[in-house]
Amino acid sequence: MHGESELAAQVIFGWDPLWVSSILFVATYVLIISEKVNRAIVAGMGAGLMVVLGVLNQETAISGIDFNTLGLLTGMMVIVAITRGSGIFQYVAVWSAKKVNASPWGILFMLSLVTALFSALLDNVTTVLLIAPVTLLISHELKIDPYPFLFAEIFASNIGGTATLIGDPPNIMIGSAVGLSFNQFIINLAPIIPLIFAVTLGIIYLVWGRSMHAAADARERIMRFKEKDAITDVRLLKQSMFVLTLVISGFVLAHPLRLEPATIAMFGAALLLLLSNFKNDAEEQSEEVNKTFAGVEWITIFFFIGLFIAVKGIEEAGVLRILADIVINFTDGDLTVTALTILWVSAIASAVVDNIPFVATMIPVIKSMAPTFGGAEYLMPLWWSLALGACLGGNGSLVGASANLIVAGFAERAGHRIRFLTFMLMAFPMMLLSIGIASFYVYFRYL
Amino acid sequence: MNVEQVLISTRVAKAGMTVRELFDECDRANTPGLPFCDVSGRIIGRVTLKNVLKHGCLPDYVVETAHILGEQFSNLQDIQAEVELLLNNTVDQYKQEPHLSITPTSSAVKALAMMEREDTSYIFVVDEGRYKGTVTIHHLASMLARCGDPLT
Repeated sequence: MHGESELAAQVIFGWDPLWVSSILFVATYVLIISEKVNRAIVAGMGAGLMVVLGVLNQETAISGIDFNTLGLLTGMMVIVAITRGSGIFQYVAVWSAKKVNASPWGILFMLSLVTALFSALLDNVTTVLLIAPVTLLISHELKIDPYPFLFAEIFASNIGGTATLIGDPPNIMIGSAVGLSFNQFIINLAPIIPLIFAVTLGIIYLVWGRSMHAAADARERIMRFKEKDAITDVRLLKQSMFVLTLVISGFVLAHPLRLEPATIAMFGAALLLLLSNFKNDAEEQSEEVNKTFAGVEWITIFFFIGLFIAVKGIEEAGVLRILADIVINFTDGDLTVTALTILWVSAIASAVVDNIPFVATMIPVIKSMAPTFGGAEYLMPLWWSLALGACLGGNGSLVGASANLIVAGFAERAGHRIRFLTFMLMAFPMMLLSIGIASFYVYFRYL
Repeated sequence: MNVEQVLISTRVAKAGMTVRELFDECDRANTPGLPFCDVSGRIIGRVTLKNVLKHGCLPDYVVETAHILGEQFSNLQDIQAEVELLLNNTVDQYKQEPHLSITPTSSAVKALAMMEREDTSYIFVVDEGRYKGTVTIHHLASMLARCGDPLT
């Protein structure tokens, strides 16, 4: 880390790097929250100014970028972009609806379960992007309000995503920064997820599920849906399932294989690109690869790059050390109080602002607490608290997670507007309840 | 061959034109859309069948689930009912940005190249700001098939 005096000499006009970096970072944060300018542009400007104004030199700025997070995100996005073309997600959604004889509550339960499972293994946005249209179609056929279904799926996507390393970007960031494996996430976070999922669905049942009814002829129409029609490319389906299985197995065996998750994901992406383009000529391959890469959320990737550099700026300037000291003073250096504070603050913050910049900021803050708690190995409860808070907190409001907004967008365009306050009145207390359950879990398991 | 020889004269859409009139005109002229002009006749946008149908009666979720829509799909009846209402709407709300345009003396090759470049199947023909007609890939192919002339 640079000394402050060294930094002060580098910052233009000899300005105090602490103030320059803080002002830049707060301005970046405010602009991200305002959503007036695209978040990739804001993060890019914040990062650029950190370097141009001399808070960071170029080498330090680059060293702040977590390429493992970027590689894992990009690799999984490529795999999902190809896999979704096979129609497997919609196949499973329709199949699961028919498995419960098209009973409305059964469908709600099954679609929520499917959403949670897919969200644990893929990204939440893709999952809801594929499940929400089927949900709207089914609820329209059943002539019942789609809101409870969509509400349950929003919760299921964020709850399911909490369970694994690859389920939600905050987990990817935490896993990469701390060196936590796929298995460690499964062992430490997955055990509490079924309980939170069950409690959530229990409440939804009490509020809406008991009064859900559909006419026999409407249910019969659902039973006549042909899920096989959803499969548009059987060969691609087989290839995708093969690579997905390989990648998930790779994550599980990453430690003995001595491979980083990003390497596994990127290799899986390359393999699936190869298999899916095997019979194409050079021109067709270029076209297909271009199409696949267009499915990668580059805005998110560049947002991460900018954010990593911006966070590096305040870290080098000593801002995060001060922030960590404030937290330690507030919690009196007590691990239990610190863990629960991180859990609750990250949940509430993630309900109202994007959890990615929040987690990016918190990672170095928590890392710098290591000496207070006797070393990095004693920080584990704090990491699990951050992961649980940041992921589950996304359920607190419509803007809490990107997946929530995707569902709301689909609903609105189908003539079923989900109002911000209506959603939050029900969702925020339910999110707090899930954090309450997570608090007991963290306390009894780690503290 | 220049585009003047293959252009199709059509009406233009103006504020207050109904969707039914748009459909009728596109059907008559066999074009996918019409230029949208202001009172002075200047082209300020376009309205297309695709855009009107997409936003007027085809929710996103139906598009996303197109493969699994069954024959007994009750939404189809609802969408048919929506089309009835849609026909009486004005086209104003479906106006998009102005489309590609080309001058009447331009060659058919240029028209084809521009359509290919922009991945579209039609182009408006405009002379000194005044709309003259539309050239579609369908009309070009039809003309070629009949006369067998090279595209020059």
